[in-house]
Amino acid sequence: MPPKRAPTATRPAGSKRNTATKANPTATAIAVSRKPAVKRSREDDRDAAVHVDDENLLAGKINGGVKGKGKASAGVVEDNEEDEEAEEFEIDTGSSNGDLDDFLDREALESPADDEDEEDEEDDEEEGYNTSDIEAMENASGDEDDEFDDASSIASSSIAPSTVPDSNLTLDQLIAKHTYKPDENMDVYVSQATGGRPLVGDARTGKFSNSKEGTGRLVPSKFVKGALMREYDDIEAGYGSESSTEENTNTIGNVPIEWYDDLPHIGYDVSGRKIMRPAKGDELDKTTAEDKLLQKQVQLSDKELDIIRRLQNAENPDADFDPYQETIEWFTGKGNEMTMPLSAAPEPKRRFVPSKWEHKKVMKIVKAIREGRIVPNKPVVEKPRVYGIWSNDDMENPPHAMYMPAPQIPPPRTVESYNPPEEYLFDEGEKREWEQQEKEDRKLDFMPQKHDALRHVPGYENFVQERFERCLDLYLAPRTRKVKLNIDPESLVPKLPSPKELRPFPTNCAVQYRHPANSRVRCVSVDARGEWVASGSEDGIVRVWDLGNGREVWRWNLKGGPVQAVEWSPNKEECILSAAVAGRIYLLAPLALISPHVAQTTLTHLNTAFSSSSASTNNIASGKPVVPDAKWVRPSEDERDRGMMVIIEVQGTPKQITWHRKGDYFATVAVDATNKSVLIHQLSKHQTQSPFKRTKGAVQRVAFHPHKPHFFVATQRYVRIYDLVGQQLLKTLMTGLKWISSMDIHPLGDNLIVGSYDKKLCWFDLDLSTKPYKTLRYHTKALRSVAYHRAYPLFASASDDGSIHIFHGTVYTDLMQNPLIVPLKVLRGHSIKDGLGVLDLRWHPTKPWLISSGADGEVRLWSS
Amino acid sequence: MAKIKKRGESGAAKNYITRTQALKKLQISLSDFRRLCILKGIYPREPTNKKKANKGSSAPASFYYSKDILYLLHEPLLAKFREHKTFAKKLARALGRGEWALAKGLEERKPLARLDHLVKERYPTFKQALADLNDPLSLLSLFERLPRDPVPGKTQVPTEVTAECGKLLAEWKIWAIRTHALRKVFLSIKGVYYECEVPAGRSGETVNVRWLEPWEFKQTVPADVDFRILLTFLDLYRTLTSFVLFKLYTDENLVYPPQLDVKLDAEGEGIGRFKLVERAPDAQAATADGEKKITKKDVKKSIRTIAHSAAAGGMQVDEEEEDVLVKDEPAAEEEFTYHPSKHDTDASDPSNAPLPTYTSLLANTASDGPATAEKGYNIFAPYTFYLSRETSSRTWEFVIRAFGGKVITTPSLNELSTVPEIASQITHILLDRPMDPATMRTLQGTHKWTWVQPQWVADCANKRTVLPAGEGSGYEPGGTLPPHVSPWDEEGRDDRPWLGTEASAAAAAIEGEASEDEDAEMDTAEAGDELTPALRAAAENPEDSTLVHQAELEAEAAGVDHAAFKKQLAGAAKKGAAASGSKAPAAGGDEDLRKIMMTGKKQRLYEKMQYSNNERRQESILTLPVTSQTDKLASKRQAIEKRKKKGGK
Repeated sequence: MPPKRAPTATRPAGSKRNTATKANPTATAIAVSRKPAVKRSREDDRDAAVHVDDENLLAGKINGGVKGKGKASAGVVEDNEEDEEAEEFEIDTGSSNGDLDDFLDREALESPADDEDEEDEEDDEEEGYNTSDIEAMENASGDEDDEFDDASSIASSSIAPSTVPDSNLTLDQLIAKHTYKPDENMDVYVSQATGGRPLVGDARTGKFSNSKEGTGRLVPSKFVKGALMREYDDIEAGYGSESSTEENTNTIGNVPIEWYDDLPHIGYDVSGRKIMRPAKGDELDKTTAEDKLLQKQVQLSDKELDIIRRLQNAENPDADFDPYQETIEWFTGKGNEMTMPLSAAPEPKRRFVPSKWEHKKVMKIVKAIREGRIVPNKPVVEKPRVYGIWSNDDMENPPHAMYMPAPQIPPPRTVESYNPPEEYLFDEGEKREWEQQEKEDRKLDFMPQKHDALRHVPGYENFVQERFERCLDLYLAPRTRKVKLNIDPESLVPKLPSPKELRPFPTNCAVQYRHPANSRVRCVSVDARGEWVASGSEDGIVRVWDLGNGREVWRWNLKGGPVQAVEWSPNKEECILSAAVAGRIYLLAPLALISPHVAQTTLTHLNTAFSSSSASTNNIASGKPVVPDAKWVRPSEDERDRGMMVIIEVQGTPKQITWHRKGDYFATVAVDATNKSVLIHQLSKHQTQSPFKRTKGAVQRVAFHPHKPHFFVATQRYVRIYDLVGQQLLKTLMTGLKWISSMDIHPLGDNLIVGSYDKKLCWFDLDLSTKPYKTLRYHTKALRSVAYHRAYPLFASASDDGSIHIFHGTVYTDLMQNPLIVPLKVLRGHSIKDGLGVLDLRWHPTKPWLISSGADGEVRLWSS
Repeated sequence: MAKIKKRGESGAAKNYITRTQALKKLQISLSDFRRLCILKGIYPREPTNKKKANKGSSAPASFYYSKDILYLLHEPLLAKFREHKTFAKKLARALGRGEWALAKGLEERKPLARLDHLVKERYPTFKQALADLNDPLSLLSLFERLPRDPVPGKTQVPTEVTAECGKLLAEWKIWAIRTHALRKVFLSIKGVYYECEVPAGRSGETVNVRWLEPWEFKQTVPADVDFRILLTFLDLYRTLTSFVLFKLYTDENLVYPPQLDVKLDAEGEGIGRFKLVERAPDAQAATADGEKKITKKDVKKSIRTIAHSAAAGGMQVDEEEEDVLVKDEPAAEEEFTYHPSKHDTDASDPSNAPLPTYTSLLANTASDGPATAEKGYNIFAPYTFYLSRETSSRTWEFVIRAFGGKVITTPSLNELSTVPEIASQITHILLDRPMDPATMRTLQGTHKWTWVQPQWVADCANKRTVLPAGEGSGYEPGGTLPPHVSPWDEEGRDDRPWLGTEASAAAAAIEGEASEDEDAEMDTAEAGDELTPALRAAAENPEDSTLVHQAELEAEAAGVDHAAFKKQLAGAAKKGAAASGSKAPAAGGDEDLRKIMMTGKKQRLYEKMQYSNNERRQESILTLPVTSQTDKLASKRQAIEKRKKKGGK
């Protein structure tokens, strides 16, 4: 492995060469490329003519040793300087003569012979490489002989004057010259390194080798046949030799030495052989120092030890330094006086004359003293320590918003007494609480104590602390004005007429209509005459009850799952009950219960369409879309005898039935029937229409206006009012609710209440706004049903919290007067089952009575 | 177009200034600023919006009203502080250079800050000064007894300061004794509270001044108490109190400061060591003319006249100026020892008459105010109290004298019998040590002495009547004292009738209830089926006398005795009340219903108010006047009564 950088040993070689060629003023600048050792060693070879394979450097050393100490030290200096330069350049600071010669040399370069020489040099250069280097080169071993021949020829030719180098060429040299193929790379490389100038060695001096001039023994060359070479004795490098010539042959370069800690060797020498780890010396030996690179102890000389001792004693390391030299007075002292002053101006007069103004001042004081105006230690007339500062006509400062006097400490209470009544003392719990509280949180800053005599009262230990804290509060506590809302909370409660004045309204439960097995009663209805109550429960049975005594008088088992809705026709002349189950609407008439006259009109109304045409649905040309899916079916005679008069088969599950006031039309809502969710059925013609092609949002509830041809549709969030005649949208009411559950219209038609699953009830005044007049939130759970009384100014809401709220709601004919809403009563009685309370409620058509149905399987009549 | 409003140029941003900014503006150190704030009564504020006040930063800062700080810029004290700083530098320099003469001269001309202008500035009227006198008096009474180094190694309290505190308090008390201004005394575990009623001017307004005096023990002083702050406060409070006292003394036509009797002082006499001196009648006339204020000019003028007259060698001194002198001289005194003026030698001078002593003055006061006697501020006038050694003469001498009594302390209790002329004067003996009745009897001998514990004096003073103090009253030595109640919550006395002397119906009710509870089991067992319809009817409306009478008759017929009938009736009435009570919320549900109609905003406010009222009610149990301490205390009391009864049985 080639050393990455030439060790320091190579540099002195160069310098050595300089010293060696000192006699020869034409020493040239040597460019050192990546392989500086090569050239140097080669030149050294020439100097020393020693061809020891890898001991080229030694030759330089030897040379140095021969040439003398003084030069060597100069070389060291130079070397150090060069070390700092980039490795690739090495500029020999030759004399001006050298430069001149350099110039001359360049001229001489023109000659071809010079070229040859150069090539020769390059050959030699090769020779200087380590074995490893040689291996790395392409033309390594094959040329070896030639090179050596070449070298020997040079050695021989150097005897002759160098001006005619050609004449000295032997045959071998010639052969070598012509067989040797110069390495282009090398050439380029060298030329780069020398700044494009071809390398010119000592050849310019005309001297290729000093082998003839040496003092060593001449022995036959081992390498070139018949040639001689000088052999020198090994010279031991003494202390005075340069540091670079020491046997520092570890070539690992600038790598941490620790990397070799685990290995038996500590690096490699120049030829790549391992340098084994030397034995460790005595730890206690203080006269040695460790050489880090070679990992061995180096004996320190006495002088070095002396330097170390001086440094340890913080003395000057130089033994010859004299800190107490005699001063030499260069500029001062006798004989060194300044002969010329800086300014020759004479002293001004004012420096000798007393100041006029000072005199005036002094005279003033003198005069004052004479007159007795200035008296030494004159007693100062002090203001009296206390005097009357307040008089009767003092005025207080005008009040200011930013003036905030500190609050006074409140007077002590009996708790603080040394002998309080016993009830003021803390019991165990209070005591514990007081002790556990933080000091700031305590309502009392002391614990009440009772002493039976005054002499037993100890000193109060927090006295100073409390006084201090009070002082801190006075100057450090930020003050602010707090406006206390000093009103009676009762004044916030609105003034409303007493419920007693607003009687009658239902107050207590009069009748309970119990359903077997407590099945939930989803819907309830009171007939137009107020005699019968119909209820539909989840067991699929529609029951008719006597309103007054709570007896079940009729029942139809619809066998279609839970009964979703029951509703009596509002026509008093008829007695028709509509009921809805999944996919079907039944029209029922409890014929046995009603008078024959009413029964007759009922039957006529129900059956006319059957008699007029068998094809029930398609024969009408009213212009309105007729629903083909809705089928009016005539039940079997048996069923008709039981009072089940008509069955309408529809899509989805109708959840609500609402009648038009005249009792001919009724509307149903089936949320799951998408665009056919709202249907209007006409009883007299057995015809079903779908008023909307498509509905915006899921319709929850619908209602007919009490006296106008208007139709209310409540979707999840909005209530839309349509004109059925003009077939257009009239109004959209923004409820602000999340999910509407129920809706009812005031009998006068101008007001509307909407209940929602988000516990709110909205009252709309249709004349006022599309936004609610009042939104009330009083139920704790979802509202299920809301209803206006048809005759009394009452309305009610039922909720899942099991309560029914009764309100008074007067609507004035005066448009300027807002409706009056007064909460009257909370009816509780229905129990909550599975999170469901009251499911439906209806008012009695004429009396202030309320019918409600609950999830607990009960229907209740609430009367006043 | 309206002018564009820039941020931070008006409102809170302009109104408030942080402490750091204030320090920069005033160019003083923090400690100086602190002192200035204490003396000038400048305090930090809490802006409604801190962020706005702090120019958008929400970092914690204390804010001052910026006009306060601007106002401080012109404060003469600020200049004094700076002067003092330069003085300190000069003195240090002189001392450092060993220039003793210079240092002495500097020391003599040391700048002294006076606070009198602050008193007038902070309290423009005398009434305001009196209204703010609670803290000063309390702090003075704390410092009166503090040692020189309360926290060892820290700021020391100069002995002159403590002495002056004691002097001011004594002067205050003497004034209170003379005018019978003391109204209330309360012995608390923290110390003794006193309240004086002080006239605030000629219009008859009065201000109640209440202060707390610690018990006479060594104070425990926490190490973190900063005495520099306390001393700064004390500086101000001393000045304020002395000016207030000057005004009070002048209004009472007394010379302020009163003279100190050196002999008595050496004997360790308390408040008695000062002697009150009436002002010369001319001076009275002068003040009566219209409260002539003594200005600096007057003083100078008078000095000049004296100088002139001295130069002339004549003794004709202008009458008016003499008055001024008489008036000023004591006021100008630094030491409070009495220096008789040259006029005192003149026998014809009325002020040279034998000085009125305490006893003579008190004797005068006994006759001076029929009004005070009427109101009960002179209740102890006929009595002479002997204070036993263990009782605090500081407290009891003051209280007894303020309420007109006479106090004797000198011979010890055992030697009293040897001085019969004193022993015969004594009417009450204030004793606070265990002593068996036999010893008391032997000590008493033939004298008619009433032996009382000190609390009796305080209770009498608060009630303004002489309470019975004999055997069984609890006030006799060794007796169980009745509870000592704060005079400041006396309005609540009706709520707790067991504290009053008169047994009331409520107490009986408690008793009845207690007895009822004892045999509650059998009562309840019987009550249900035994109630006759008439009884039930009577119970339902007990006001109806005919129904009650009817029930009574029936009971008689059934052979139930009257007591049993009463009990039955009470029980039935209670039950009826409970039943109606349970019915009441259902009937009174209308309250809840009306709330439905409130808007959400009002509803929330209502709920908040209800909550806070409830909290306050809970909290008030111990801190508010007894009137509002309702249920908890009463129930506790009942439990205690019951326990006692059971223990008795």
